[in-house]
Amino acid sequence: MNDRVPGIDPKLMEILVCPVSKGPLRYDPEHQELISERAGLAYPVRDGIPIMLPDEARSLEDSEIGK
Amino acid sequence: MTSPPTIFDRALLRKRRDRAAAGFAAHDFLVREAAERLADRLGDVTRRFPLALDLGCHTGEVAEAIVGRAGIARVIQCDLSPAMAARAAANCHPTLAADEEALPFAEASVDVVVSALSLHWVNDLPGTLVQVRRVLKPDGLFLAAMLGGETLKELRACLQAAELAGEGGLSPRVSPFADVRDLGALMQRAGFALPVVDAETLTVTYGDPMRLLADLRGMGETNAVAEQRRTVSRRATLLEALRLYEERFADGEGRLPATFHLLTMTGWAPHPSQQKPLAPGSAAFSLADVLAKPM
Repeated sequence: MNDRVPGIDPKLMEILVCPVSKGPLRYDPEHQELISERAGLAYPVRDGIPIMLPDEARSLEDSEIGK
Repeated sequence: MTSPPTIFDRALLRKRRDRAAAGFAAHDFLVREAAERLADRLGDVTRRFPLALDLGCHTGEVAEAIVGRAGIARVIQCDLSPAMAARAAANCHPTLAADEEALPFAEASVDVVVSALSLHWVNDLPGTLVQVRRVLKPDGLFLAAMLGGETLKELRACLQAAELAGEGGLSPRVSPFADVRDLGALMQRAGFALPVVDAETLTVTYGDPMRLLADLRGMGETNAVAEQRRTVSRRATLLEALRLYEERFADGEGRLPATFHLLTMTGWAPHPSQQKPLAPGSAAFSLADVLAKPM
């Protein structure tokens, strides 16, 4: 189950998965990103709109995985 | 396994839609018409679908049309273009940017998936259909309208004639489209039960052919074929094509018809309650016995 994210509909967060791995997402409030550990990608959230495009995602550093 | 062919340049499509988002309201008639037709069809279904997902939401036209039909209470809207999604979000339905080719939704999570005029830009339509079927709950409905092969036949014929005459070769300037029979087969292969595909034709008439081009740009629907010539079409070729359009197609009042071919797909996520053919050999009467009886 995903984290609750301020500004994003809880029902949407409930069904949202990583588009690449179809795995769960973790919210990073500091960077406003949805983190997919399985795919090693961080998807930005802009003005409350998750940008779930693999092209727009940031690759995670090794140190960020498993936090 | 080979990867599916790349027909459309999705990054270019995204750019086109991003650019079209701000002025979309002036060119949204076709999406609104398609959305209304989807809403009418939902009105004919007796099942209830509390949670809907709209693939390729443009600026929120579908949600506006379908809320309240068939028990739809909320619509999750997504579009490949973050700029389109940002505008759609103004209607207060949950909204995100997502690619129809890589859906970010959990299995069996929504009751109905709808889409108006977006899936004709998908490269891997079989892959998208499989993902849609997975996102649907059992007995969930998929209802989508996309543009089909007869779309803009007048403009295409004129562009081809002008280009062959003026530039001595052809560039794929208008997108290739899917066919009714192909779509039915694809839906079946993707595991949809009771798949139906039908076609309708919408004819829009224009006084000035430049207005048609402006509408196509305004909808973000101009060519995104990956293999097109990278050089800009010569202005003389375009003007010649528009001249041919008027010469060949103008009606008695000088107005120009533009055909939009609307393909609508309907299919259900499988569920034991749905009608199915009987198992072979399960018949209770023999056809031979019936035929052998004297009349």
